[in-house]
Amino acid sequence: MLAASFSGVAAPLGDVGGGFTSEGDSRHVGLLRLLSRIWDAITSFTRPPNAATLFRRANLYRQEGRFEEAAELVSQGLRLAPNNGVGHLLSAYLHLAFRQIGPAKSEFQAVLDLDPYHPRALLGLAKIALEERDIAQCRPFLDKALQYYPDFPEARALQEMVASWSMTPAAQGQRQVYAGPPILVEKLKPPAGGREFVLTQADGTLVFSQQGDKDAEDLAGHVTQVYRIASATLQRAGLGAFRRGIIQAVTETTFFRSNDKLILALSFPQDVKVGFGLLETDKLWTNSLRELGIRA
Amino acid sequence: MSPEPTPLGRPASARAREFRRILAEMLKIDRVRGGLVVAADGLVITASLPRGIAVEPLAALTATLGRELEVGADRLKRTAFHTALFSSDDGTVFLGSSPVGFVVVLGDREVNVGLVQWALRKALATLEGTWGAPVPAGPEDL
Repeated sequence: MLAASFSGVAAPLGDVGGGFTSEGDSRHVGLLRLLSRIWDAITSFTRPPNAATLFRRANLYRQEGRFEEAAELVSQGLRLAPNNGVGHLLSAYLHLAFRQIGPAKSEFQAVLDLDPYHPRALLGLAKIALEERDIAQCRPFLDKALQYYPDFPEARALQEMVASWSMTPAAQGQRQVYAGPPILVEKLKPPAGGREFVLTQADGTLVFSQQGDKDAEDLAGHVTQVYRIASATLQRAGLGAFRRGIIQAVTETTFFRSNDKLILALSFPQDVKVGFGLLETDKLWTNSLRELGIRA
Repeated sequence: MSPEPTPLGRPASARAREFRRILAEMLKIDRVRGGLVVAADGLVITASLPRGIAVEPLAALTATLGRELEVGADRLKRTAFHTALFSSDDGTVFLGSSPVGFVVVLGDREVNVGLVQWALRKALATLEGTWGAPVPAGPEDL
């Protein structure tokens, strides 16, 4: 009887340590615990929070997209605990959220200085290497993260994406050269208003460009990268292979067309009618395939 | 698939609620199969995806795609991208850029592309407003 009433009253409040012999005692303890919690809540307003509390709150803010407030709490926390890995990781994430890549990189590195196999820091550095198109640097970070944490879905998705990529960009002058049939430039004339027309192969090889060499290589690099990541995204969403794309920016709209081998990109001023852009891109696509001897 | 985005099991601030509301509005559009709001670092702020599509890998890829569009434009001295769409034979991924990160919408092959783009632009404008708005303190802030 006593045991039954004890478990019914005191158990929900947690382990009371035993040694009580009556229902009155256990109620007394329960009341004391309640008073203790109220006291803790009151004093928490005046007591300065510790680093762990600051990081926990910062993470909650971050998850709600309240990055500025989170960043303030993280810097407070790191002043209290400068060698705290959680703090440096949060700091790295927040720098990334603010698109501050250099500081994010340093903070991820600070985490790895404390824990060389920290999977999230390794993933963070892999993503930055990807942004910098340094695939040779990106792969080892992903491999290392997955070596110890094979069930890491984000790292696995990126590793699968980059697995088939060539190690572009090569040094200037060493870039892969298009070795297909010669192209008659006059047959690949972009329409009025069309600019930055570029054709690349899926492996990044530049096939044709309206622009000069250096600009063409940069543009081809970007177009290939967008194609590769968008293809992986479409596949991951269960939607199949990349066929078309439209990117709308402040001053231009870029149209993409692709099969699994070739990618075409063509830009127009921002106010272009989408229907017109699609139509002209399709015409240029058909001409390009014909010129290259590829079946549609 | 639930029309309401996943709450991710934590108390909602005004801004977090707004993200979920924005995504819920997008999900009401006919032939939209799912969507998410993801920060530039790949953090999922809110998501609602069809069964069988894991959120973390898709978030990692869409954040990477969004960042390539931002970084690539910068590298080519182009202006920042606002919205983008990528289509296959079976559907379309829509992507919108905002200060908080990227809004991603998945549509099937018969989705009304113009309608989603219009709704996405509206959502991005709201998101920018929400981002800039002062954040009221809630009980969870104490």
